[in-house]
Amino acid sequence: MELFDNLALGFGVAFTFQNLIYAFIGCLLGTLIGVLPGVGPVATIAMLLPATYALPPVAALIMLAGIYYGAQYGGSTTAILVNLPGEASSVVTMIDGYQMARKGRAGPALAAAGLGSFFAGCVGTLILAAFAGPLTEVAFKFGPAEYFSLMILGLIGAVVLASGSLIKAVGMIVLGLLMGLIGTDVNSGVARFSFDIPELTDGVGFITIAMGVFGYGEIISNLSKPEEDREVFTAKVTGLMPNAEDFKNMIPAVLRGTALGSALGILPGGGALLAAFAAYTIEKKTKLRPGEVPFGQGNIRGVASPESANNSASQTSFIPLLTLGIPPNAVMALMVGAMTIHNIQPGPQVMTSNPELFWGLIASMWIGNAMLIILNLPLIGIWIKLLTVPYRWLFPAIVLFCAIGVYSTNNNTWDIWMVAMFGVIGYTFIKLGMEPAPLLLGFILGPMMEENLRRAMLLSRGDWSVFVTRPLSAGLLAAALLLLVIVALPSIKSKREEAFVEE
Amino acid sequence: MVRPRGMSPEGVIPASALPKSLLHGLGPCFFAFGDFMKRHDVIHTLLAAFVGLVCATSVQAQSYPTKPIRLIVPFPAGGATDLFARTLSQKLGEKMGTTLVVENRPGAGGTLGSDLAAKASPDGYTLLLSTSSTHSIGPNLNPRMPYDAVKDFTPISQVGNAPSIMLVPNSSPAKTVKEWIDHAKKNPGRLNYASSGNGTIVQLSAELFKAQADVFVVHIPYKGTALAIPDLVSGKVDVLFDSLPTGLPHVRDGRLRALGVTTLKPTALAPGVQPIADVLPGYESNTWFGLFGPKGLPPEVVSRVNMAANQVLQDPEVLDKLQRFGIEPVGGTPAQFTAMLAKESAKWKKIITERKITLE
Repeated sequence: MELFDNLALGFGVAFTFQNLIYAFIGCLLGTLIGVLPGVGPVATIAMLLPATYALPPVAALIMLAGIYYGAQYGGSTTAILVNLPGEASSVVTMIDGYQMARKGRAGPALAAAGLGSFFAGCVGTLILAAFAGPLTEVAFKFGPAEYFSLMILGLIGAVVLASGSLIKAVGMIVLGLLMGLIGTDVNSGVARFSFDIPELTDGVGFITIAMGVFGYGEIISNLSKPEEDREVFTAKVTGLMPNAEDFKNMIPAVLRGTALGSALGILPGGGALLAAFAAYTIEKKTKLRPGEVPFGQGNIRGVASPESANNSASQTSFIPLLTLGIPPNAVMALMVGAMTIHNIQPGPQVMTSNPELFWGLIASMWIGNAMLIILNLPLIGIWIKLLTVPYRWLFPAIVLFCAIGVYSTNNNTWDIWMVAMFGVIGYTFIKLGMEPAPLLLGFILGPMMEENLRRAMLLSRGDWSVFVTRPLSAGLLAAALLLLVIVALPSIKSKREEAFVEE
Repeated sequence: MVRPRGMSPEGVIPASALPKSLLHGLGPCFFAFGDFMKRHDVIHTLLAAFVGLVCATSVQAQSYPTKPIRLIVPFPAGGATDLFARTLSQKLGEKMGTTLVVENRPGAGGTLGSDLAAKASPDGYTLLLSTSSTHSIGPNLNPRMPYDAVKDFTPISQVGNAPSIMLVPNSSPAKTVKEWIDHAKKNPGRLNYASSGNGTIVQLSAELFKAQADVFVVHIPYKGTALAIPDLVSGKVDVLFDSLPTGLPHVRDGRLRALGVTTLKPTALAPGVQPIADVLPGYESNTWFGLFGPKGLPPEVVSRVNMAANQVLQDPEVLDKLQRFGIEPVGGTPAQFTAMLAKESAKWKKIITERKITLE
């Protein structure tokens, strides 16, 4: 079988002492930096990219891929422990992960994220190895109309994310859409809501909003309470590993998440993020087993599934990168830069012109995932110790690291002020009982939706029927309609509210 | 570079006290000396006094650089300009005996970083590597630029030139530029061109093409050409003027066809691709890369960096990398760079006005 020959070649390349060391260094650095709030994979790779310039190409890419996965693992750790998303897809992990941490179950949450990601990573790697060629064609089937319909599906799914009032959730999505309008309009070049501030012509960064609303907002809210009312996690930490019941709940969730992630990761543009959101939505829509913790209150499925989806998607997102040279997200765009500097032209020929690189990288992805699980399971105990740090030390550290993280993406102090501003906004949200997760989804999907809608209309010369005459687009819209009906059905709605209203 | 003893800046006539013309004249004289002295450590102390008397300007130049230089790149890490800067900075540092620290200051299409460089102290320790977009196109497009692209900078040297290629999907009936123009003339308003956004070189290349070929093709902007490629391959859009590193692999793979290159003459970077200028005389649309300092940069600093840059651009390792980035090396004097800047700005100004390209 050609696949096995190829994988054998890959493992032959990756399993040299030198490359294993680089994979390990990458994973370790990625985890350590990814754990810092605000420093996600993008900032991590941007910072460490120059360090790889001196390495041989395969080693450099293996190390960068290690940093990428490591930072993602590290990012989920921060999301679970301190309720700070390092990147867009951890927003979902946070919803239930942080609640688990609050209930003293940070250990099982971290283990679920790690094990789920590892399994998903293995599957994603296999898919990448086996189907990279044929799957490439899928990306060509997706035009602006299809993307628009996919975003609609995603936005309706976002409503399901909210655990409280439906009206508030819709309100937050719309607010997110509005925030997404800030910046330069792709079609006309007009700077919208920029108030003649050059920094605002690029829009507001996702990290900026996430750090402000989740990080600073929560800190302000915590500090506004008298010290004795503040949450203490440490007294009630129970167990580092998931128990048998957890595993029983987790396994189907991991499988669903992996399948969804592998499929959506192939699409350039937001695949991994949509996968995480969609996986969570599906979990939330499946029936709770008797005695299971409701979603939004620390359900382990709510951690395992989106984390698996996110990781398998980040694996399959290498397909458009390696076969087409199309970076599906900002991290991959950096990888393209790294490949170019290492004399590799990402694109269709990578597989044929640099087979040892292509398959070596794929094998090292699997090795990286395995290393991360070996590295991270013992670290869980250490991460949990973080929670024992007194709040008076923890909060200035979070404030500082958020500021450093945000500054590192653009080297501009403006972003730090923006985080501070969003901190105040986040505090207001907490006071009003509004959940920020739907806001972030609206913020990310909104601009993509607008862009694709307008592009589809430009290409069709203003003919709206293109959304229903193209079969893929019509199918996605039908799915969105179905989801809308499910959300709106009164019987389901009342049940939804009784199950998910905040305590 | 080692500074000879007895040549501390405070010990001699400050360079600013000398007439400008003298400084210009003495710049090169000093450089020859500098290299000579470096190799002959024993005699250079003896020569130092002599040099100090005769070649007073050398003092300032000799004492530059004494600390690391920051090279501002107004674009994000990993992009073409960043890759170029990182290649250049290492070798420039070696040539000048210091370290060049690349600082990415992205934002507002390169405006933020360029503005930062414009407002920095003109001591030679802040330099800028920028492109057409911040100095030739942006100023003609954006009425609210925070800097004056001509008055607020000291041009040091052009360093590179990146051509684009005209790409069409395999399904396109046209095999040459000529055929494509005929195709577009037969289908006015029915064809689309993709770009990486309003006012980018990708759009302007297409608009310049439309103006010269007198055809009507609809603009479909994307957030970067990489995102436009799937739509081009599947034929949803009909043409894209893309940079070489992103476009050529698809041509080699047979998914796309390259009809023409945007240079006046055939380029080794895109072998076998005919210049568009063969069909549309004078058609030229490239992205230049250049080194700048803030306004009022001392001439000896300019010539020191210019000379180092020109040497670096002959280094085989640098040439090899540039080839991969799809960039032709371009050296030359500051005066040549300044003349090129004026020409480019005038060219884009004309197109932007005639084609009514605005950000409003």
